[in-house]
Amino acid sequence: MVTFKRSYAKAFLMLNPLKKILLRRESSKRSRSAAARKPKLGEILVRAEGICKGFPGVWEHLILDRINFDVKSGEVHALLGENGAGKTVLANILSGFYSLSKGRIYARGKPISIKSPKDALEHGIGMVHQEFTLARPLTVAENVALGLAESNFSFPLSKVEKRIRELSDRYGLKVDPKARVEELSAGEQQRVEILKTLYHEPEVIILDEPTSVLTPEESKRLFSILRAMAREGRGVVFITHKLEEVMEVSDRVTVLRLGKLIGTRKTSETNRRELVRMMMGREVTFRPKRKPVKLGEVALEVKDLHVLDEKGLLAVKGISLTVREGEILGIAGVAGNGQSELVEAITGLREVIKGKVLVFGKDVTNHSPKKLMEAGMVHIPEERRRMGVAEGMTSAENLIMKDYRTSPFSRWTFLNRSFITRHTERMVSEYDIMVPDLWRTETRILSGGNIQRLILARETWREPRLIVAVHPTYGLDLKALRHTHDLFLRLKEKGTAILLVSEDLDEVMSLSDRIAVIFEGKIVGTVDAARAKVEKIGLMMAGSKV
Amino acid sequence: MDVGEFVRLRLSQSMISKLPNLFMGYIRGLKRPLIESAFAIFVGLIVGALIMIIFRHDPIEGYISMLKGYGIFIAKRTFMTREFMFALAFATPYMLTALTFAVGVRAGLFNIGAEGQLYIGAAAASWMAAHVALPSGFHVFAVTVFAMLAGALWAVLPALLKIWKGVHEVISTIMLNWMAFYLVMYLAIYHLRGIWAHITKEALPTARYPVLAGSLTAVIFIALLVCIGVYIFLWRMHPGYELRLVGDNPDAARYAGMSISRAIFLSFIIGGLVAGLAGASLAVRPEKWGFHATLGDLMGYGFAGIGVALVGRNHPIGIIPAAIFFGGLAHSGRFMEFDIRISSELVGAIQGVIIIAMALPGLLALIRRKAK
Repeated sequence: MVTFKRSYAKAFLMLNPLKKILLRRESSKRSRSAAARKPKLGEILVRAEGICKGFPGVWEHLILDRINFDVKSGEVHALLGENGAGKTVLANILSGFYSLSKGRIYARGKPISIKSPKDALEHGIGMVHQEFTLARPLTVAENVALGLAESNFSFPLSKVEKRIRELSDRYGLKVDPKARVEELSAGEQQRVEILKTLYHEPEVIILDEPTSVLTPEESKRLFSILRAMAREGRGVVFITHKLEEVMEVSDRVTVLRLGKLIGTRKTSETNRRELVRMMMGREVTFRPKRKPVKLGEVALEVKDLHVLDEKGLLAVKGISLTVREGEILGIAGVAGNGQSELVEAITGLREVIKGKVLVFGKDVTNHSPKKLMEAGMVHIPEERRRMGVAEGMTSAENLIMKDYRTSPFSRWTFLNRSFITRHTERMVSEYDIMVPDLWRTETRILSGGNIQRLILARETWREPRLIVAVHPTYGLDLKALRHTHDLFLRLKEKGTAILLVSEDLDEVMSLSDRIAVIFEGKIVGTVDAARAKVEKIGLMMAGSKV
Repeated sequence: MDVGEFVRLRLSQSMISKLPNLFMGYIRGLKRPLIESAFAIFVGLIVGALIMIIFRHDPIEGYISMLKGYGIFIAKRTFMTREFMFALAFATPYMLTALTFAVGVRAGLFNIGAEGQLYIGAAAASWMAAHVALPSGFHVFAVTVFAMLAGALWAVLPALLKIWKGVHEVISTIMLNWMAFYLVMYLAIYHLRGIWAHITKEALPTARYPVLAGSLTAVIFIALLVCIGVYIFLWRMHPGYELRLVGDNPDAARYAGMSISRAIFLSFIIGGLVAGLAGASLAVRPEKWGFHATLGDLMGYGFAGIGVALVGRNHPIGIIPAAIFFGGLAHSGRFMEFDIRISSELVGAIQGVIIIAMALPGLLALIRRKAK
């Protein structure tokens, strides 16, 4: 199988001469005049002005709204923001992967148009993506050669290998050009990606969240590579949501929030606190009124939980927490810090390798979701379309997914259609779900907000004793969001224990009684929500020790 | 907030802006399969006509002759029940093997094991019908049940391989089809033979299904009942609901606390039972009341069932008309050969084109779902 894929990719390599013939005119026309002159340190290499980006159909919220951004020669420029702030989109526009809707880009003061990644490379802008784009069965050198215009039928790989060795020596990017990519670690693969980009000698190199796959030591090494590249006069753009990294490696930092430019600062002239405030924004949205609730018994207890992620790496590293009846425990954290794995382990969807999960004092570690349901736990899942509903089935069928076994819903294994119709009609009107025909329309055609309401209805109508909810208001409009918050608080007053996992810090702040902050698979601290400062939580989310 | 923005916001939140979307969704949900099927038949007929023209046959004459397969326009009569009964005789096994495939698809499987399970069912039926003496009345019942159980037994292995080892059902069922082929051929020659070596022993009179006309037996009533039964099972009973949910989204099923293994097992077993019944319907029928040791009169029904299921949109009720359509097509071949002297191979080609065209929308939908 591997050999087959290998030959397949080789065949692709051989097709390159054809590409070359087709592109010859274009590439000769565009000689790299800019690269002829070496930039002075501090000279602006690339400047973006008034960049706007909207996607068809969602023009009302621009993903990027009038962004100004520039990169100077010899600097490491950090692009900081939460998930969904638009960092990656901006980088993709600069490197030609996305087109821009409005705005201009200048290279060394001259306006340029970037229509493809190839254009961007011609103008000296290269990008290293967060996800690897490598052909796994090929060697490092072959991977680098794949993207080169000059490779042809009898392309001497030794030339590429030599060049890779040169580059590796120059920047300390240790990679064996003859090694197969599939044998390399994540850190090494990333170095290959960087080499692939460096091979084109870009003046500006953009790295999208490069540290997300790296161990701390590997990150340290990467930072010294970034510094080395900057020293040579390149401009390095470094995308991250981790404050510590910004402080450690960058010269300047630009903060984006929800597609808007918040500001650009010199790293030496700012501090963590200011950056957090810029990143999170601080218009406090409404806080629902809360009555004091007497806490009941411990509903959920997690002890020293260890869970692996898909790649087999430890994603949850010894988390312990408790939620009592009548309490909402919020888990705040940037996505990808182990929240999903934690929730899946608690709800029986992922194996716990060490530690314990107790529901109302009963050990339910690694029990099936069905057993957990019977123990009184309901789960509002993160990926609603993937997990929360069966899209090919009708709304009524989706609304009874958790109840169909029990008595009025089915009798003697026969589904009780008339009761189900009455029940689901009530759900639809109570939770304001818009469904044309309960028994006919496929759930696929419902909007995300409606699907979310459907899931909320299904999970909460019985007033469960323990709810594990992930982003419960994701995609809901303001009214529905308020309804959901009220619902959660009402349930809480009735003695429901709620574990609330959300990236939306406002939501966590306004609902929770206590907030636990998760970072890299560990709870870095638990604070009382009433007295918590947003800045402090933000700092903890960004991995800063407080 | 200016006025325009306010209005836009209100509109986007109100039902009105969503109405067109919802309406279209409803139309899509209901009418689309019908329109697609009609279009597919049309395309199939056109291409079939082109083939006939290329080979210098009159397509109109050809299609009129094809209608005879359904008992229409024969010998100056608008409808001839007897010929239609022949079409139904072909339709019976199609219906059942299609059901095997459809129940697989509903559980997210590509179960093409009907062919082999049908052979095993035929062998079991033949043995029970010809070699075991039982009181009349009960004998027919015993033959039917035994054939079904044998078919189900043959489906257990791919089911377990899938559940325990994740072996893809296409691989395991294809291999088991060939195992069944040679096993049944061996059984037919050495253990089920009657007077002649090339044909299995005649079923005892007590084991024969009542004959309605020609080769059509009362098995068709059992087949129809089975279709309705499977429909009720899938849409009105909760194990069937679980099966469909597993097929639609296994992640959601797991999240809802269902047992995916159980649903897959159930789907295979139902498929096996039904395919076994198809075997019985072919092994115990006039004129021979047995089957050839070459398995010539059993072959192909399992795979044809895939096409029938696709045309019937993998719906137990939709399969019934689809099977009758295919049955008539199979029966019309002899008329086309006789009337306009088309070679039987060409008849097969024309039928194949129509079948492919008809199955296309269903197949595309299946591929789309699988690709997701």
